Amino acid sequence: MNESVLMLTIVAAIGLGTPIVYATVGEILAERSGILNLGVQGMMLVGAVMGFWATFQTGSLWLGVLVAMIAGAALSVIHAFNSVTLRVSQIVSGLALTIFGTGIAIFIGRAGSNPLVGQPSREIFQPVLPQSLADIPLIGPLILGHDSLVYLSWVVVAATSFYLFRTRPGLTVRAVGEDPASAEAAGVNVSQVRYVHVMIGGALAGLGGAYFSLALVPSWQDNPIGQSGWIAIALVILASWRPWRALWVAYLFGAAGRVSFTFQTLGIAIPATLLAMLPFILAILAMLVLTSGKRARFLGAPAALGIPYFREER
Amino acid sequence: MSEGTMIQTPPVVELRDMDKSFYGVFANADVNFSLAPGEVHALLGENGAGKSTLCSVIAGLYRPDAGEMLIDGEPTVFKSPKDALAAGVGMVYQHFRLVSNLTVAENLALGNPEVALRLSQKELEEEAREIGEKYDFPVDPSARIWQLSVGQQQRVEILKLLYRNARILILDEPTAVLTPQEGEALFRTMRVMADEGRSLIFISHKLHEVKQVSDRVTVLREGRVVGHINAADAEPRDLARMMVGKDLELPTRAPNESIGDPTLVVKDLVVVGDRGLDAVNRLSITVNAGEVVGIAGVSGNGQRELAQGIVGLMKVTAGSVHLEGTDVTQMSVLAKIKRGIAYVPQSRLGMGLAPGLTTEDNLALKQYREAPYSKGPLLSGRAFDSRGEELIEEFDIRGVRPGLPIRLLSGGNLQKALIAREVVQDHSLLIARSPTRGLDVGATSDVRDQILAERDRGVAVLLISEDLDELLALSDRLLVIYEGEIVGEMPSSEATAERLGLLMSGQSEVQTA
Amino acid sequence: MTRRLIVEPRGLAPWWLKLLIPIASVIAALVLGALFLMLTGNDWLDAYGKMVDTAFGSSRGFAETLVSATPLILTGVAAAIAFKMLVWNIGGEGQLLFGAIVAGGVGVWLSGSTPPIVAITAVIIAGAIGGAFWASLSAVPKVYLGTNEIITTLMLNFIALLLINYLVFDSFSPWRDPESAQFPQGRPIIENARIPEVFNRLDWGFFIAVAVAILAWFVISKTRSGFEYRIVGDSFDTARYAGIKVPKKVLGTFLASGAAAGLAGSIMVAGILGRMDPRSLDLGLGFTGIIVAALARLNPIAIIPVAVLMGALHNAGPALQSIGIPSSTVTILQGAILLFAVAGEFLISNRIRRPERSVEETTAGAEVSAA
Repeated sequence: MNESVLMLTIVAAIGLGTPIVYATVGEILAERSGILNLGVQGMMLVGAVMGFWATFQTGSLWLGVLVAMIAGAALSVIHAFNSVTLRVSQIVSGLALTIFGTGIAIFIGRAGSNPLVGQPSREIFQPVLPQSLADIPLIGPLILGHDSLVYLSWVVVAATSFYLFRTRPGLTVRAVGEDPASAEAAGVNVSQVRYVHVMIGGALAGLGGAYFSLALVPSWQDNPIGQSGWIAIALVILASWRPWRALWVAYLFGAAGRVSFTFQTLGIAIPATLLAMLPFILAILAMLVLTSGKRARFLGAPAALGIPYFREER
Repeated sequence: MSEGTMIQTPPVVELRDMDKSFYGVFANADVNFSLAPGEVHALLGENGAGKSTLCSVIAGLYRPDAGEMLIDGEPTVFKSPKDALAAGVGMVYQHFRLVSNLTVAENLALGNPEVALRLSQKELEEEAREIGEKYDFPVDPSARIWQLSVGQQQRVEILKLLYRNARILILDEPTAVLTPQEGEALFRTMRVMADEGRSLIFISHKLHEVKQVSDRVTVLREGRVVGHINAADAEPRDLARMMVGKDLELPTRAPNESIGDPTLVVKDLVVVGDRGLDAVNRLSITVNAGEVVGIAGVSGNGQRELAQGIVGLMKVTAGSVHLEGTDVTQMSVLAKIKRGIAYVPQSRLGMGLAPGLTTEDNLALKQYREAPYSKGPLLSGRAFDSRGEELIEEFDIRGVRPGLPIRLLSGGNLQKALIAREVVQDHSLLIARSPTRGLDVGATSDVRDQILAERDRGVAVLLISEDLDELLALSDRLLVIYEGEIVGEMPSSEATAERLGLLMSGQSEVQTA
Repeated sequence: MTRRLIVEPRGLAPWWLKLLIPIASVIAALVLGALFLMLTGNDWLDAYGKMVDTAFGSSRGFAETLVSATPLILTGVAAAIAFKMLVWNIGGEGQLLFGAIVAGGVGVWLSGSTPPIVAITAVIIAGAIGGAFWASLSAVPKVYLGTNEIITTLMLNFIALLLINYLVFDSFSPWRDPESAQFPQGRPIIENARIPEVFNRLDWGFFIAVAVAILAWFVISKTRSGFEYRIVGDSFDTARYAGIKVPKKVLGTFLASGAAAGLAGSIMVAGILGRMDPRSLDLGLGFTGIIVAALARLNPIAIIPVAVLMGALHNAGPALQSIGIPSSTVTILQGAILLFAVAGEFLISNRIRRPERSVEETTAGAEVSAA
């Protein structure tokens, strides 16, 4: 009995964690290039609604995914322009992006005579492999029973990790986030690198948002994503800017989101609201332990994160 | 042109009539320069003579305002360091351009289009090791930059250029951060590189180094070329004179009548610098009331740490500071201000003034806690205005408008405001760092008068400067600082540019006598 | 020959530009909003007309606008004083909520016979203390350990929100109205702790908020402590040089910022709400306060009119719903205003000009007057 509860929790953790994986990996790419984007929540919401809308119109899930990614990237360009070209406060610009994106997402969901809100999904991502495989004990539910976006997220994590740590362009990104002046002296175009990675981050946030509206929640609501965008920003730090760690911490937070249900199943009565605090308290404690004082350097925060870069300053 | 007839191949780099200015101030004017294949060419000059700007133009970091650059005889324009690197020109900046969280091998690969898209840490490290061995530069390719000593970091900078096969290497004051032994090793490597046919530009103020390692020397002063000489023919004395310019004027000021008791006594002071090394190394000085003691030295030899250690902004790890007989070594900045230490730091807008506040506010920066500025917890706006007006008038600070942030005043007026504020408070010691740096002739003379007036009032003045004119014009006694230690002392009447220049360059007096 | 445009830091931005940029940001956002409404098939003129009418068209409407503006003035002040010192307190939300919790607790706990003046003061101050406490959870680690305050303040927002929901919906705490079994809500505070109304639903809380904004301005520009605050906000190094203890100053500012946000919570509890009610407090007031502060360019006095404008927008949202336009139009407008305002900062701190046609020959080393 307990074993199956554990299993259900893990499976749910993967489901709830997957959108956060996408958003966190996206934010890791932006921050690795030195740009802090607090607009993740807004980009995810816009991705969620645009993905839902596109699939609702066409019946194609993959078109929905594509539209969500484009929408997220399009929104992120505003932030890239503000922080790379205009060099104004990245913090305020990111917050503005979240507010703006939230408004747009809710608006699109409610606009028109036949609004999306409350509409059931026309299509929803289903497990790719046949049920017989998913029924295999242990590896069935854990590995074989997922939809294609879960598998894609694993590919994205592996690819991002490889890109950042094993390729020359990835090295360039890391260098730009650490020390743009040195990168430029070595012949790197700093602005270009930053624009590109903020936009990839936006696309992945959009995709993460779409996972809610195309896989997890079978209808449109004003905010299907909860606070996932904000959690993703905290997870970037807990994952110490590394994609594989992002996968594990996102699943951990997915599990924390599921924990009240699990406790109920086990007959342990802890109020849901208190349990829901768990991820946030965890994030703060981890921040205190990991990022304070001298340890911060070993954590791997990009040294130039959030600092506008001026060339030829004298 | 004249040298072109002697050498068959064209110079690898040639600058013709090059100008470069920043915000309307020329850093280089009418510069002509040529670098022959296989030579080590030294650029010699005081701080601010335009050496680094000249090199940054060649390395593609700055674009010249006028004039022409030829690479291998072909007119060339570099839009960025990327272009320069592609043409084989690379520079080791004074402040290293290394990404400190990356490994040595990664820094070598960064921005290098020849490296494969897929990084192989192993291959990179192998190659790095090979080049390192070839030039007698052993560094661990898998180490992260921040784990390396400054000397090792410099090797990585050079390796980075060799790895990209740079033919023209520019080294901006490479020995400033090295121990003598590391310096020797660097010189050997420089010769090896030159013998391979690479050309090197070497910036320094240290005369013996210039003589030791270079083939030719170009001397710069105030942004212009003063002369080119063969290093073999150059006498250190001549070089020192060319560097400093005119024979220095002897001070015309009235000698101080009465030197009083010791006001500041610093004993065996040790201050740890930002790099974690002892920037001030068991240094002792005494400044008497009514005396100006000048400290000469090339920048970066511990001047900043000495001043900040005395005023309490940097931690003193050993030794003592006594002010009028009281031990003030570990007192807070505020306690030291109240005890009478006035301080004019080098970077006016960086530390001495709050750039965004008004002139009146800045004039109150150290006295706002007391009347008439403060009435209990409240401030008297009227006192700020009236007191400000008085000081603005008395010290002839110009360009002040209501509400105008002080950063918009000219350099001379900034400095007058800063000094005005420091000298109106009760004080027995004034520490000033390069107080006339960057000022025009009129402002310079005003500031000098202010400092002499202080001395005449019986204040002990510690003047830390890199400008020999300023030091000679103001000081009663001169000390020379080199690598955090006092290496020479003389009454200013016995000081000559040559003698100071040699001491500042690390030559002991015995060698030159 | 093509010449690049030169972008360079500007000296003193003219006063009209500082006024123009925020106004232009609002106009640009309204234009963008109109385009968006048109593209989605709505009548933008109708929508804007309705908004203006709702917010300013009647004395009742205007009173509601001021009611909405009240907490925004305070969260705006909270953001402004922190941001000016580069303390990124984006936890106004959580500090407001925790302030409301403490205020609500005191308001429930006080004996019903407490004299009004004592009760009201106690409840209001309790909120400020609560907000400062919640801020201290981020401020102390920031100042003494160097922990990034952006993330901690953000996470504490969510914790405070869950806590407030727990107290009313998920437990039988003293904050929950024991008589509301079916539809839980907050327990009313004692009648003597309620801030009296002025007209319609507007209470004296609005004037307290205005007074706090003016006080903030007064402290910053007229007191010794405020002078030190301005020095630290301008340059850490110069502040150290002048003998000011910078960490202490940063901590104090952070706590004052939290207190202002907490005050927003207690004034809502003691005023318009009369109870600590989660649904009426969770309106994103902390974030809107950041918009207010940015648009007011961190000036406490300018915060007052800007907060009224934002209050009007906030108030107009539900009215849009009645004519079939989503109320989130208001959120879009708020986000767009902030995006334009932050981009506009570029024009305030930089100027763009063409390079001079020809550079005159000047002697080397000559200084060109800067001003």
